[in-house]
Amino acid sequence: MRILLGIALRNLVQSRRRTALVGVAIGGVTLLLVCLLALADGVRDNLVRAATTISAGHVSVAGFFKPNATNLNAIVTGRAALRKLVEENVDGLDYIVERHRGWGKVVGNEGTLQVGFSGVVAEDEPALFDTLSLAWESEYLAGGRDEVIGDPRELAEPGTMVLFAAQARRLGVRVGDTVTIKTETLSGQTNTADARIVAVARDLGLLSSYAVFVDRGLILDLYRYNEDTTGAFWIYLEDIDRADEVMRTLRTAIAEAGYALREHESDPFYFKVSRVQTEDWTGQQIDVTTWRDEVSFLTFIVTGFSVLTWLITTILVSVIAVGIMNAIWTAVRERTREVGTMRAVGLSRGRVLALFLLEAALLGLVSSSAGAILGLGLITLLDALSIRIPAEAAQVILLSDTLHLRITPQALASAVGVLTLLTAASAIWPSVQAAALRPVKALQHAE
Amino acid sequence: MHPIVELENVVKEYPLGRVTVRALRQVNLALDRGEFTVVAGPSGSGKTTLLNLVGGIDVPTSGEVRIDGRATSRLSDRALTALRLEKLGFIFQSFNLINVLDVVQNIEFPLLLQGELSRRERRVRVDALVERVGLQEQVRQRPGELSGGQRQRVAIARALVTRPAIVLADEPTANLDSATGTAIIELMREINHTDHTTFIFSTHDPKVMERADRVVPILDGRLEADTHSRSRAAPVEAR
Ligand SMILES: Nc1ncnc2c1ncn2[C@@H]1O[C@H](COP(=O)(O)OP(=O)(O)OP(=O)(O)O)[C@@H](O)[C@H]1O
Ligand SMILES: [Mg+2]
Repeated sequence: MRILLGIALRNLVQSRRRTALVGVAIGGVTLLLVCLLALADGVRDNLVRAATTISAGHVSVAGFFKPNATNLNAIVTGRAALRKLVEENVDGLDYIVERHRGWGKVVGNEGTLQVGFSGVVAEDEPALFDTLSLAWESEYLAGGRDEVIGDPRELAEPGTMVLFAAQARRLGVRVGDTVTIKTETLSGQTNTADARIVAVARDLGLLSSYAVFVDRGLILDLYRYNEDTTGAFWIYLEDIDRADEVMRTLRTAIAEAGYALREHESDPFYFKVSRVQTEDWTGQQIDVTTWRDEVSFLTFIVTGFSVLTWLITTILVSVIAVGIMNAIWTAVRERTREVGTMRAVGLSRGRVLALFLLEAALLGLVSSSAGAILGLGLITLLDALSIRIPAEAAQVILLSDTLHLRITPQALASAVGVLTLLTAASAIWPSVQAAALRPVKALQHAE
Repeated sequence: MHPIVELENVVKEYPLGRVTVRALRQVNLALDRGEFTVVAGPSGSGKTTLLNLVGGIDVPTSGEVRIDGRATSRLSDRALTALRLEKLGFIFQSFNLINVLDVVQNIEFPLLLQGELSRRERRVRVDALVERVGLQEQVRQRPGELSGGQRQRVAIARALVTRPAIVLADEPTANLDSATGTAIIELMREINHTDHTTFIFSTHDPKVMERADRVVPILDGRLEADTHSRSRAAPVEAR
């Protein structure tokens, strides 16, 4: 009924002060909700970025090789053949990179670090150097320059390393310095090598604390691997959302080609190592995972943000619900005579209910839309400013060293939808009371 | 043809704390189509109560009120609301317009509730009534911008717009000065003449009574022998 909409709208305009007061509250909560959603989504985005830079491809095909029951190498033997099989069985492939893996100690000028190594082939890494954002020297070195020093593309040269700002700080090193790498094979043999630092990247939160990039040759040397091995194939897809589907296809194809395939376990690679080591088998096993599996221990962060967002919203909404209910109550009281008149003229109970609910819904829609638009503006501004997160602990949780906010149109729409619905819901009780008024009584009501 | 409104042994009581107020006692009344009837009585005599029952916005404690043959106390709220919308028009003492709607929208309101006429048909009908009540200059004004007489004209137009079988008016001139009041009664009388709309309204103003076909005197919730002559108004004011 257009006329009811018209009446509802005009009544809102008529009682400007009350409308403004309640509207600002609804808009404010929407603004906050939108910002929190954007933060949660930003963290999710950070997680995807960090995970697919440091820990995994969209889909990863890794290998465990056991020359005997107690020894374990995290490698795929017969790399060329498996790569061919992978390439043939991935639909919507963007590109594949290979990462050789190792773990051990990095000894710097002022400290040591226990890390996992990612051996990269620089010329096969189109995206890594774009994704990694480099730190200014001043970010990891007291008295350093306010500019980026070094170039990660130098990983193409033998004996090179790229690490993260927090690591450089702890080791007390800068670009150009040489660090010593110490690895211990599972059989107890210690190998060492020197690596020259060619670049220092900005931190990516928790995931970047324990990972460094080195040139692939360094891993081959340290572990005496032959050329026809690799650690893992990291597969990047045109659409990351197809990761699960691609993983399933690959599993089937790899198993059918006669490889021993590990059961799917949603754990990161390093968690599996100790488990595999104690298993009683020899030879080669292939493991296929998605990026989600590799960061499954981090999803609590994303879940936590979502839970927190809705918790805060629920509390605030409960508070403003009382205000909304009060406002509609007042409107019903003020317009009781009018309700009586309209009922006498022939307005049904249902339409009286609709009239007041519509008024509330309209108030909710307009205020929450305004809040959402303002929120979008604020999010865009804050994200563009790339504000540095001051505390390292916060960086670890937020998975980035700068504040990243992002919101999808769907999230924006759902914030508006939820607030509108809640506003209407808060008005149900007074609206039902208005609808229940007997026309005679309502008409007798003193203004 | 049965009377448009029939009251049979109607009693209306209001509970008031521990006591019960008897507002109407054993009222019998029949109104014929096209009549211009005045219910006349002093304050507290039961005029409003009677009109509320006739208008189907309240139901009797006992007895029966039949509007166009249908007993109001046997109808659901929904059916009674529909009956009011289709058969009745209301004019109130304090005008009771919808404040946020302008003159045209107020008049059109019942038609929109009925939802039977097209936009164009509604327009034609509203325009004709606006002209009839002489508010062509005020069509886009809201009630707050109108004088009392103008507001009551809007209310009359609203009451007539659905072409109801019967129009009720509870002391329609009480909040108007006497010249304006007379003009309003003249307008209703004229509409009654030309369109044969049944009118029933209450008053305690002798000047208004003079204009009626029929005066039904009411006192202490009882109807007294009424008169059908326009020439003689019953002097019920004396008490
Ligand atoms: N809701 C109510 N509760 C209790 N008593 C009521 C109620 N409405 C009316 N009455 C009583 O019923 C009697 C008739 O009232 P009613 O309003 O019908 O008289 P009236 O003739 O319209 O008077 P007035 O000229 O003052 O409008 C009065 O004694 C009044 O006090
Ligand atoms: Mg009265």
